[in-house]
Amino acid sequence: MQKELSVDLKAVRNVRLIFLALLLFIVILLILDIFLGSVNIKASEVISAIFNNSNSNYETIILKFRLPKAITALVVGVALSLSGLQMQTVFRNPMAGPYVLGISSGASLGVAFVILGFSSNIAPESLNGLGNWILVVASWVGAGAVMLLIMVISSRVKDIMTVLILGIMLSSGISAIVTIMQYFSNETMLKAYVIWTMGSLGNLTSGQLNVLLISVLAGVILSLFSSKMLNALLIGENYAGSLGLNVRFARAVIFICTSILAGSVTAFCGPIGFIGIAVPHIVRIIFKTSDHKILIPGTILMGGAIMLVSDIISQLPGSESVLPVNAVTSLIGIPVVIWVILRKRNYSGSF
Amino acid sequence: MRKDIKEILSLDSLKIGYFSGKNENVLLPPLTASADSGELIAVIGKNGIGKSTLLRTLTGLQQPLGGEIFYSGKNIRDYSRMELAHKVGYISTEIVRVSNMSVYDMVALGRFPHTNWIGKIEKTDHEKIMDAIEKTSMKRFCRKFVSELSDGERQKVMIARILAQDTGIMVMDEPTAFLDIAARYEILHLLHLLSGSSNKTIIFSTHDLQMAISQSDKIWLLLDDRLIEGAPEDLMIAGAFDHLFDSSTVIFNSDNGTFSFRSENRGTIYLDGKNSKRYWTEKAINRAGFSVSNEMTSTYIILPSESNSKWQLSAKSIVREFKSIHELITCLDKEVMST
Repeated sequence: MQKELSVDLKAVRNVRLIFLALLLFIVILLILDIFLGSVNIKASEVISAIFNNSNSNYETIILKFRLPKAITALVVGVALSLSGLQMQTVFRNPMAGPYVLGISSGASLGVAFVILGFSSNIAPESLNGLGNWILVVASWVGAGAVMLLIMVISSRVKDIMTVLILGIMLSSGISAIVTIMQYFSNETMLKAYVIWTMGSLGNLTSGQLNVLLISVLAGVILSLFSSKMLNALLIGENYAGSLGLNVRFARAVIFICTSILAGSVTAFCGPIGFIGIAVPHIVRIIFKTSDHKILIPGTILMGGAIMLVSDIISQLPGSESVLPVNAVTSLIGIPVVIWVILRKRNYSGSF
Repeated sequence: MRKDIKEILSLDSLKIGYFSGKNENVLLPPLTASADSGELIAVIGKNGIGKSTLLRTLTGLQQPLGGEIFYSGKNIRDYSRMELAHKVGYISTEIVRVSNMSVYDMVALGRFPHTNWIGKIEKTDHEKIMDAIEKTSMKRFCRKFVSELSDGERQKVMIARILAQDTGIMVMDEPTAFLDIAARYEILHLLHLLSGSSNKTIIFSTHDLQMAISQSDKIWLLLDDRLIEGAPEDLMIAGAFDHLFDSSTVIFNSDNGTFSFRSENRGTIYLDGKNSKRYWTEKAINRAGFSVSNEMTSTYIILPSESNSKWQLSAKSIVREFKSIHELITCLDKEVMST
């Protein structure tokens, strides 16, 4: 018994060590992300811009552009990864994620209703105060509607692949609706919407960043509260129920949490693919556990780190061009997804 | 050792089934039965009669359509989901497939009703988990992933999980299905042990009638028109199992609890001999379609004894000797066919 306990303590210590290393990694990445960019700024200039009120052009770039962008990247990574983890557990589907199941599309439909449906003045850049909240709530509702639909489907259809294909159909259907809406909207609205769909971490106003921060923080707190429920749901709803879990309540909590996390990100940054599905798998590989008490903090840290890496790469340090961040996240995420598929060739029904 | 025996579960005219739309789809007539602490109870019935539905209803995963279930004298309707999880644990027929979940973590899930909001494993929880793992002799698999185990080992982990849940009653839906014979007996032996030494009431469904009869303390026999409960032997004497098979090809033998195929009687044969050789020869002869007579017949077989190691068949003035039962039966078939 004594020996068993000491093994446990060692495992716990290892987990803490990895958490600490990841945290350190994030800090380094944050600094790198601020130092590197398409405009070449010397390190000393960056430091003086942050600490002195020099009022130079550099200060504008650093404080008004690079810092908010780095924070946005961090928050987006955390939110998408966390929603991916929750979806994979609640659907017991290793291929679940906000992007592949069409949750992001749902959110973009909500956004399209706001941008294309109402007035030409509600373009994302010109939104502020209440407008931001309208946009984000519309996004939640859109994400939630698709999430609900997928929940209903997956309670009837147990086959993972079928659910996945239906998710893809759903997002195609939603894109079609959005295309029709675009067809009937005027030029200014259209332009605002097209810019939004390109997905960017750098276009957020400080008001929007605040809304994003508050929403994601709420989602993170809710997800910490859900770790015990998620553990029980791993072995299926029947077993979870027999362990005393109120399955309906658990599903509702996770449903709200995922919609907020994926919806908020999509509202302000557009659809960003493959982070939500890939990061939870990377975390499982590193920690070799299914325990959400470890997976949730691990996913928060790893998600933030990978999104920061994606952002750094997308700026192509040393050059003046900038890649769309969506392309970078796809290139990072897709190999992981392919690896997961190939590793368990016969994974229908398994997690 | 005297155990403190008390009634822990009772069913009173329980109606089970499903709602399909607004219609009640009642599966069985109202059921009345009871279970005492430390009892191993086998639920027997043919496929689709409602065994799984009954077990799900007992664990509160499904609402009863009528009647009452009492746990320690308190109605199941007055228990919250969480309180019920302290009373009864459940294993379904569903095979749990989770990657990256260690045996320890799976068993630790059994502590769900006992841990705090985040599910922290305290020292007492850890002790209960290790105790459950040891009782199911899974200690050397503790750090292995559940997905790497064999079917039998995984079933033991599932049992360890409800042991850690620390409930008085364990409900298991066909715990020995899809296991090989060795694993089947191992699981059943484990259940027997747990009901005896840990004073758990175990209610399990099974298709293996012979195993249920030999190991369980009580049987709930589900028939189309009623539930019969009692010790397996009581039910045998009452001939209750005869109703289970309305098939014309299988006969359940109430004398010794075995099955045989109904076949036309091709004649009677007298057997001269005793002990295990007689028992098995008789079986072979029955299978070939003959019955064994206690009186001398024109066809008779002398079994191997100290003086002779061979089977000797005498029929219609021929006498032949055989080295094995297989040869004997082959010849018997031919001889009779030729007449």
